[in-house]
Amino acid sequence: MSVRGTIDRRTALAGVAAMFGAALYAPIARAAGNAAAAGVPVISDGPPSVAVFTPAQRALVAALSERVLPTTDTPGAIAAGVPAYIEKLLADWALPADRVPILAGLDAIEKRSMADHRVSAARATPAQQDALLTLAMNRQLGTADDFFEAFRQLVVTGYYTSEIGMTQEREYLPVPGEYDGAFPYAKVNKVYSA
Amino acid sequence: MAATNRFDAIVVGSGVSGGFAAKELTEKGLRVLMLDRGRMVEHGEGYPYDGKPAFEVPARNVMPEPLKESDYFISKHGYVAPSNQSFYNDDRLNPYAYDEGEKFYWIRPATVGGKSLIWGRWSFRWAPGDFEANKREGVDGAWPIGYDDVAPWYSYVEKYIGVSGSRENLPYLPDSEFQPPIPMNAAETWLKQRLETQFPGRKLINTRLSNLTEDKPDQNRTKCQFRNQCSNGCSFGAYFSTQAVTLPAARATGKLTLVSDAVVTNLEYDPRAKKVTGVRYVDAKTGQAQVVAADLVFLCASAMASVQIMMNSRAAGTGRSHFDNSGTLGRYVMDHIFRVGVRGDIPGMEDLIEYGRRPGGVYVPRFRNIGKDEEGVGFRRGYGYQGSARRDPVKPEGFGASMKHAMRRYGPWQFSMGAFGECLPYKDNRVSLHASKVDRFGVPLMRFDVTFRENELKMMADAREQGEAMLRQAGLTNVTGWEDEHVPGDAIHEMGGARMGADPRASVLNGWSQAHDAANLYVTDGAQMASVACVNPSLTFMALTARAADHAVKQLRRA
Repeated sequence: MSVRGTIDRRTALAGVAAMFGAALYAPIARAAGNAAAAGVPVISDGPPSVAVFTPAQRALVAALSERVLPTTDTPGAIAAGVPAYIEKLLADWALPADRVPILAGLDAIEKRSMADHRVSAARATPAQQDALLTLAMNRQLGTADDFFEAFRQLVVTGYYTSEIGMTQEREYLPVPGEYDGAFPYAKVNKVYSA
Repeated sequence: MAATNRFDAIVVGSGVSGGFAAKELTEKGLRVLMLDRGRMVEHGEGYPYDGKPAFEVPARNVMPEPLKESDYFISKHGYVAPSNQSFYNDDRLNPYAYDEGEKFYWIRPATVGGKSLIWGRWSFRWAPGDFEANKREGVDGAWPIGYDDVAPWYSYVEKYIGVSGSRENLPYLPDSEFQPPIPMNAAETWLKQRLETQFPGRKLINTRLSNLTEDKPDQNRTKCQFRNQCSNGCSFGAYFSTQAVTLPAARATGKLTLVSDAVVTNLEYDPRAKKVTGVRYVDAKTGQAQVVAADLVFLCASAMASVQIMMNSRAAGTGRSHFDNSGTLGRYVMDHIFRVGVRGDIPGMEDLIEYGRRPGGVYVPRFRNIGKDEEGVGFRRGYGYQGSARRDPVKPEGFGASMKHAMRRYGPWQFSMGAFGECLPYKDNRVSLHASKVDRFGVPLMRFDVTFRENELKMMADAREQGEAMLRQAGLTNVTGWEDEHVPGDAIHEMGGARMGADPRASVLNGWSQAHDAANLYVTDGAQMASVACVNPSLTFMALTARAADHAVKQLRRA
């Protein structure tokens, strides 16, 4: 295990990595280990340049994202734009091979939903979707065993780097102005965004 | 020299060294031309993502994998992110011979200000023993200067740039002229007490950082706001950079001309006068080349780039540089070795947490092979650790509302630290110009044949072992050590290649950072280093630069 967070300039992105105890899903791991000016390569920031998902898969990604991080007393994954983030990342910010476990998992979940619940997974009830995600989490989807951890990391990363995740679910201090290394935890309302 | 020269001095490069050279020389009345190969970045307005949270930065501030592999395949080892991407070299456009020789990460900046915009900011003085070690141990490369030669210049630089830290009176880590330290957090204070009790002689001290803890109104700089987003550029000017500190000072004299996108290819030389007669550069935008002249040239292009420029300065038809009568140019290249660390959980204090994002942490100064007790540890020199304690939010377990709400709590205090170790100078750790491949400006590519040796690897094994022992005995739980591949250049502390020395037959520069083979050439960046100590080097480059500028101007006035 490498703990590169020890050295401050190396911690710029460690916040994302620190959210996970498990081995990181490849694109997030590479990123966590890691602008606009004339002549500088531009990062694609518009809609996905390719459609990663079929309409049915897209609907399922949205539904499952919301089950991973649901609306509670704060908005959930859909309101935070997580489904669009996932498709954009897989289209333009990750390597094509990184789509494979996600697509395989979505297809396995869809098949299992038809078999267990006789309904397309995107239109299953939240309880049925939770049961499907639980199967995935417990590695009971056969060939798509890599799906759950990869998908959860995508949802968690997308959510906690979104405006809603950073400023509503958590608290973002743009300019803390001071440092207190012995601040009473009792005064913390929400986890601070990195 | 010719009265027609528009400039008294040319400074090549504008990083920590070049910026300081420009400041010092202009303030002493010289008309200075500063050339930098990078794009212009103005303080403040040139920082596109200063103050931006992840959701306002492309790709959530995570470098897209395809772009990393196409354009930033070296810079990715130097912590490039979308928010600082424009400050980093595009490795596709500006390559070196990375697929030949030994593996070396040459991590370079892309702008005026050089690595001063993206540096780690840890700032330490060298100790007297660091300057003496080569000579004392009979290691090839005795320094012609000692601590007392540099100490006044450390003071001068520290007072100007602002270094925060605590006075410790340690013989092996001299104190700087400090602003108040950035505090330790509760867990670090706990660890300090236990570690120093369990291991007499070892210390855990506040970070020493060129982040201000007091305003410098005369420089329009505001103290650190604890955002910990330094490498995006800081409009507060809270950390030292050329843009925030030395460039405004040089400009204020009215004597600075700064030309960006100016790629210096070589220096022209008069062998009879033993002087540099011109600096040739290519305009990166137009491809036009021109030669400029001045009485004085300060080469501050960064250690390896300065060596490259010197090596590429040679008479037609010869392979040897004008500045290599010693045969040592390009040799004794070093970096710190640092891919070792330890971590553990600190029990208790769960009623306390950090407020604000601190841009540093704590430091465990070198304790190996210091003073009289050469301990028989099986290696020479030593290492220090940089670390910090923090609490992270609870990690995701399962999914759904229970996971979401569980992640609203913080986990226990954790401490981690990584070692930075001294690399010895080896004659055959060298860089050279590629025999056939050139870059888009016609400069032969740099090739690296630099490896860490037995001494460095033994030192890292010891750093891991000692780190684990210290954390365990201090009472941490779940203590683990780690070690990654050691690649020279990875610490971005590459140094040497044009070392100082008293003997012109065995060194490139004299004790004033002045070329033995050209009295009007000074090389004041990391290239001049004859050894590297184990502490972060930039402060020493700045001190040696200010010292060299003082010497150069006195020489000029005398002539």
